[in-house]
Amino acid sequence: MGLKKLVEKVEDYNERLQRGKASKIKPSDVQKVLTKLHKKKAELEVAIASSRRADKKERLKTKLGIVTEQIKRAEWLVAEID
Amino acid sequence: MRKFYLPVAIAALLLAFWFSPDAQEIAAGVAIFLFGMLMLEDGFKLFGGGILERLLERATSSTSRAILFGIVSTTLLQSSSLVSVITISFLSAGLISLIGGVGIIFGANIGTTTGAWLVAGLGLKVNIAAYAMPMIALSILLVFQKPKPLRGIGYALGGLGFLFLGIHHMKEGFEAFKDQIDLLRFALPGLLGLIVYTLLGTSATVIMQSSHATMVLILTALSAGQITYENALALAIGANIGTTITAIIGALGANFQGKRLALAHLIFNVATAAVALIFIAPLRDLVDAISATVGIGSDDYALKLAVFHTIFNTLGVALMLPFLNRLIGFIEQRIVEPVRDVSLPRYLNEAVDEFPQTLESALRQEVRHLYENAMELIMHGLNLHREQIFKSDNIAAEVRESRAAFDLDLEEVYERRVKTLYSAIVDFTTRVGDKQIPPEIAGNIYALRDVSSDIVQVVKSVKHLRKNVLRYTTRSQGTVTELYDGLRTEIARIVVEIRKLDLAPPEDRSALWLDQERAQIEVDARSTARRVDALIRTGKMNATAATSFLNDSGYAYAAMRGLIDAARSYYIARDLAIAEVESLLTLDEDELGEARAASGSSSNPDRDHGGRKNVIEDG
Repeated sequence: MGLKKLVEKVEDYNERLQRGKASKIKPSDVQKVLTKLHKKKAELEVAIASSRRADKKERLKTKLGIVTEQIKRAEWLVAEID
Repeated sequence: MRKFYLPVAIAALLLAFWFSPDAQEIAAGVAIFLFGMLMLEDGFKLFGGGILERLLERATSSTSRAILFGIVSTTLLQSSSLVSVITISFLSAGLISLIGGVGIIFGANIGTTTGAWLVAGLGLKVNIAAYAMPMIALSILLVFQKPKPLRGIGYALGGLGFLFLGIHHMKEGFEAFKDQIDLLRFALPGLLGLIVYTLLGTSATVIMQSSHATMVLILTALSAGQITYENALALAIGANIGTTITAIIGALGANFQGKRLALAHLIFNVATAAVALIFIAPLRDLVDAISATVGIGSDDYALKLAVFHTIFNTLGVALMLPFLNRLIGFIEQRIVEPVRDVSLPRYLNEAVDEFPQTLESALRQEVRHLYENAMELIMHGLNLHREQIFKSDNIAAEVRESRAAFDLDLEEVYERRVKTLYSAIVDFTTRVGDKQIPPEIAGNIYALRDVSSDIVQVVKSVKHLRKNVLRYTTRSQGTVTELYDGLRTEIARIVVEIRKLDLAPPEDRSALWLDQERAQIEVDARSTARRVDALIRTGKMNATAATSFLNDSGYAYAAMRGLIDAARSYYIARDLAIAEVESLLTLDEDELGEARAASGSSSNPDRDHGGRKNVIEDG
């Protein structure tokens, strides 16, 4: 999955930052969010492993896919602003 | 009473001016002094940019910290009244505890004694008017600057200048006054003097609403030899009782907690005054002993009064501290928390109007109150019990078992428990819009108003669903019941996920979790539409019934999206930089679709939301 939209969002953020309309993001801010996402991912993996209902497993896997994507984007963002 | 207060006060002043032109200078001195205090307060509010309020939130983690905060803030602001009003406002908004608030009031009583030291030690000994003039002249330059900190410094400097000028005019007024009228003729010795002058001190403070101004009047009159030292001590004790009036007035518009604090303030100050009056003779001896030790002249009554003021206020705190928990218990018994009427706003009262931080915090709690009321109505509207859903491990099964119809007049409950709160929130945010508040807080306040709007829209969507939920889910009617159970299940799942988010520790919580729910809503919406298509094609559902269901599913998915939007705005990180990160990382609809595809999530048209078909159940 591409990061085109995230790049656009970051460009928009930089513009807002220059106009004084956004708060400055530090790498530590992204790290804090990354920590929360990793924790959520671990919780979902445990839940998937322990779930025996197929529908529940499927829902949890969808969630895991989203959180994995968010982690990928956060890792890109932390490298971008570092 | 209030109707006559102003004309009587004006008439009394005019009469005094007619009898003695020098009374004009004393009255003008008091007026200039009070004006200076107002300017000083405004200056600190502008210059501080909420520092005081932010510190206050953290100052009440222990009683000793609360007392220290009260001492330091009152010393800096030179106004215990302002500190009391801020404390009542924060207590009413639920930002600090009652015991912490009482601790601050205790500290403020000690902090206010620094005013007497400043006046007695500096104001009466130095020609402070010489400093006042350049301070006022310089301040006006700063007041006209655009940056808030500079304007704040300007107001504070001007305020200090006016304080000095006021003291100077009071001093001059009393000096000139004594040539005409000797107030010492009215001196009263003994117990009668103690009682009469205590009442006079109380009345003067109630009228001026500033014990600081009363103390300056007492000190200048004392230094001009217009009152006796004994009577001055009684006046100072009276001023301590009178100063509680500001907190009492401030608490009139506050909730029960604010009223409790005002009562604690009154009890504390009256008890301290009673102890001081009973032990006035030993206290006076103690003042003499301390004054002699620190080198204060035996006839320097102004400084000795400052010593007395400090001793009896500090003594009051020392005496009351061991009984603090009992005092709190007594107050909680006297002012009982009113039985909560869920249909009335709980947090949006006048006392929170004073400060931006309390505005936002009170609104946040009121929006949460609205959500709780709305959530109860939404779940009951779907014939679901919240507690059973929350504790269930299989929501779909729980929904299938929930066949009993709730005896509910949804329209009436909506009007009473949701619309009233929503109206109060809209009124509040409109009122706040007229105030000058920092843009980031204004932004948060408008975002919270939008959250309440989303919540109300969700309730309206469920109102539309209610008719067919009653028709198709109170007994099993095959496919159509399964479809409606699917919608009920999905809404219940969103409510459960929002609750999980709410219960998570703030350091672990992220509004990004809701992206996962948004993704699931879109999967479910598509799956439902495909299933209905299949049912029509196979003749298991006629077009009329299908249209009716698709309309209802439109309301249901709008409700789910509304809940997610509301929760995302409500739970977005309070730290602006973290909120910015979350906003950057959140996925839009297309990206969610791509992420779902990448994770291999199926959108099986035959997937059963109720979990009955095509699902391998756990044993």
